[in-house]
Amino acid sequence: MTATLTNPLRVGLRQERVISPQCLVIFGASGDLTHRKLIPALFDLFRQRRLPSEFAVLGCARRPWSDDEFRQKMEAALASKIADDPESWKTFSAGLFYEPVDLQKSDDLVRLGKRLEQIDRQRATRSNRTFYLSVSPAFYGSGCRALAGAGLLADPNRSRVVIEKPFGRDYASAQELNRVVKSCGQENQIFRIDHYLGKETVQNILVMRFANTIFEPIWNRNYIDNVQITAAETVGVEERAGYYETSGALRDMVQNHLTQMLALTAMETPGRYDPEAIRNEKAKVLQAARLADEAEPWNCCVRGQYGPGGNSSDPLAGYRQEPNVDPNSTTETYVAMKLFIDNWRWQGVPFYVRTGKRMPKRMSEVVLTFKEAPVHLFDSSGGGAPGANQLILRIQPNEGADFRFEVKAPGSGMRSRPVDMDFSYDESFGEPSDEGYVRLLADAMLGDPTLFTRSDEVEAAWRLYTPLVELIEQQPWQLPVYPYEASTWGPAASDSLLARDGLLWRRP
Amino acid sequence: MAPQLTLQAPLELPPQDVSDYLGRLWNGGEQDSTSSGAATFSLLVWQPSWIEQHLVRLGRLDGPITGLEREELLQAARQAVPTCGLPLSTSPLAPELAWQLGQLPGDQASEDLRGQHVDPAISLHQPRRLITLAPSLDGHQHLETLVAAYCPLPEDGPASSVCGDVVVMRGGMEALQRGLGMVNPLIPAELPCWVWWNGTLDEAPDLFEGITQAPRRLIIDTAIGTPARALDVLSQRAAAGQAISDLNWYRLSSWRENLAMVFDHPGRRDALAHVVQLDIDVQGHQPVQGLLMAAWIANRLGWSLESSNHCDGDGISASFRRPDGVAVQVRQMPVPVGDPSTHPGSIVGLRLVCRPEHRAPLCVILCGETGGCMRLEAGGMARMELVEQVVTSTIESAQREVSRTLRGGHDSTNPLLAACVPLASRLLPR
Ligand SMILES: NC(=O)c1ccc[n+]([C@@H]2O[C@H](COP(=O)([O-])OP(=O)(O)OC[C@H]3O[C@@H](n4cnc5c(N)ncnc54)[C@H](OP(=O)(O)O)[C@@H]3O)[C@@H](O)[C@H]2O)c1
Repeated sequence: MTATLTNPLRVGLRQERVISPQCLVIFGASGDLTHRKLIPALFDLFRQRRLPSEFAVLGCARRPWSDDEFRQKMEAALASKIADDPESWKTFSAGLFYEPVDLQKSDDLVRLGKRLEQIDRQRATRSNRTFYLSVSPAFYGSGCRALAGAGLLADPNRSRVVIEKPFGRDYASAQELNRVVKSCGQENQIFRIDHYLGKETVQNILVMRFANTIFEPIWNRNYIDNVQITAAETVGVEERAGYYETSGALRDMVQNHLTQMLALTAMETPGRYDPEAIRNEKAKVLQAARLADEAEPWNCCVRGQYGPGGNSSDPLAGYRQEPNVDPNSTTETYVAMKLFIDNWRWQGVPFYVRTGKRMPKRMSEVVLTFKEAPVHLFDSSGGGAPGANQLILRIQPNEGADFRFEVKAPGSGMRSRPVDMDFSYDESFGEPSDEGYVRLLADAMLGDPTLFTRSDEVEAAWRLYTPLVELIEQQPWQLPVYPYEASTWGPAASDSLLARDGLLWRRP
Repeated sequence: MAPQLTLQAPLELPPQDVSDYLGRLWNGGEQDSTSSGAATFSLLVWQPSWIEQHLVRLGRLDGPITGLEREELLQAARQAVPTCGLPLSTSPLAPELAWQLGQLPGDQASEDLRGQHVDPAISLHQPRRLITLAPSLDGHQHLETLVAAYCPLPEDGPASSVCGDVVVMRGGMEALQRGLGMVNPLIPAELPCWVWWNGTLDEAPDLFEGITQAPRRLIIDTAIGTPARALDVLSQRAAAGQAISDLNWYRLSSWRENLAMVFDHPGRRDALAHVVQLDIDVQGHQPVQGLLMAAWIANRLGWSLESSNHCDGDGISASFRRPDGVAVQVRQMPVPVGDPSTHPGSIVGLRLVCRPEHRAPLCVILCGETGGCMRLEAGGMARMELVEQVVTSTIESAQREVSRTLRGGHDSTNPLLAACVPLASRLLPR
């Protein structure tokens, strides 16, 4: 792998996209996400000079905190960052406010409206507002209704709503939620989060595909044999058991994150490089996607659940032994499946998708395996006949891309080595890419919808997995949850899924 | 979108009554918070519109005088360039055109609506108070002050009832200078204030000093006026920590983005450390935009300036040293263009030559859409890898450019600009 250099001409260009003066209203300000992700991300944006001077954060939740209490809690959560830069914290925290609001009480929302007017005068925030619903998903619909009812979404140019994931539990509930949300505002006011997708990831996949003219002619069934999409985590369920028990890997990762990766990889070339054109193509390709066997989904899907693992000095609990998990739980922590896309470009090319917790390595990637080497791309001077050539788009860690082609080194069996095409986007843009929430918050406040999921995309994604969701709910025995040892690559059944097609998962 | 007139006919008041009147307008004894006007910002505009005033006076353009950069104005100005005996490359907004027009006889009278016609690009942001200083051609004219409440009606979506007001101060330069005392108290202290100096920095220096002090945020255009003065103001204010925006710099963003993009390609990144030559062609004899571009590149790549001199008439030739000690030659040339851009000194083309070790030299040429790059494309590039790109730049009216600045809102200067201005200033041979 060659060392990659930074691009000094990139530095600072990102800062030139300016966020308008505004007040960011966070519902769920006393919750976990706010202090762990949102406020740290905002503080980072502030220190990078990417927030306007006229800016305020108004925290809202039911508990009766004061502005000062809210500031103190956030200060405690950010202690290590603040220690590096106490001056910045002083300026930043002067723009933090708190208002006790129960989203279910209309009087509270009227009071909120008044408080916002007051903040506009105090901070010159020009009535521009981004409402961030970091509350339980049960409140997404009613929260939007409450905001709309108080007239706070009336001006489509000055108000937006950010909705956390998950958006719905299945196709029907996603449709219903979309119906409610759309009755409260225009589609361009709604920002549905898929927080695994950083802007760079999207850009990188798109740049890789469409800016490198060498790829477009071979990005189809004539050249590509199969596609593998993996998102692996090393962590277990951690403190999220309550939520995870009702969700599982299919809902938590596949329906949103992996499906977005699938859409970006497989979509047609958008006519223009603009958010709506991209989202049109993503929605279209998802509408053309289907499970490899919709009638008998158990033939194309494998579920797993991690058991105990680790070693005597560092034992890892199995899923059923984790706090707050039902000891007989059948929630899947691993899922793998095979899909097809019924369009001209991808007819007959299998897409294998997998995700799991307690895997040996934390990584996300898209691997395209070529049928045979397009001659101009690879030089086989290394000796031997080229085998399965792969293009790997790394999403994390080290966002980037590399080509690998198998060369038979004498005496050592098949061994793969990377060709000199490897590069890391992290460095290529001169600055490290933003942590997920930094980017998402910046884009939502800029009004850039590229990273957020449009209503038709969300619905298409849920529709795609409906046969599985129904099977798991109605006949779970048809899709058993196979145990796998913690820190392994999932149950053996998932290898069989590929072995039936004469393939192997890539071992990263 | 058509410019919007104030809803209420402006009221002419004696200057000393303006402040009281506005106070009563908003507070009028009511406690209701909605009557206090938009909590946004105030904008103070120096609006000489000399070219428009002269064209109207000469009967070359129909009135009223609005101060807006409308198409008819640009057309009439383009037509006037050859009549005044100026080179065809002269931009229609060049100060020399105003001066030449000033020499011609004519006394067509017209209504002056400067400050009362508000461009929708500006009203979109609902400024709390818009104060226009409108100097008249007759330097001895007495001071007139006009006031009106103003509720911008958004074209789409429901009208929000936030209102602001406009104040116009019109008169000869002397009268304006004397009336300056009333401007400062009119600016709401609790809101940010932008000052848009929509003229050359060479005129009315005392007035300029009087209204543009920090913490007000300053918007200027270094494409017009004397380069040395423009760069001095820019560098002094940025160094002092004041927020200063230069429209001429913002017009460079597509050039900077395009150049950065060329080197996003991992195979080319190394070449940036091996630049040996930079050539920039600019339209006509206004070097500032080209110098800002050169200074940005030099600053990003860590070059140190060794010397800068005039060459071939109005060209500029500079030597830099790279961090590895190798010399870099920079040359900027004015070129004539048939269809000059609205803005004097716009970059027409740029060429960067890199000679990395162990690989073929790389030549990057960026070309503006309208001007040709023939000079830069000519010769000496055999056996080089050639990357050529066309830079599209949308020409926007000054009001729209300012609107983009107002949309953001920062109380300090863009760090990239602040970092390269001192260098641009030193690049200008004095
Ligand atoms: N935490 C994560 O890492 C994570 C990751 C992905 C997605 N998410 C999503 O982000 C959202 C928030 O997650 P979280 O982990 O921060 O949840 P959490 O810790 O349970 O916080 C919920 C927040 O909602 C407030 N709240 C509850 N009822 C309310 C009401 N009626 N009106 C106003 N506020 C109310 C709570 O404060 P009071 O009790 O004071 O009202 C609390 O601040 C969820 O939708 C979750 O799915 C979170």
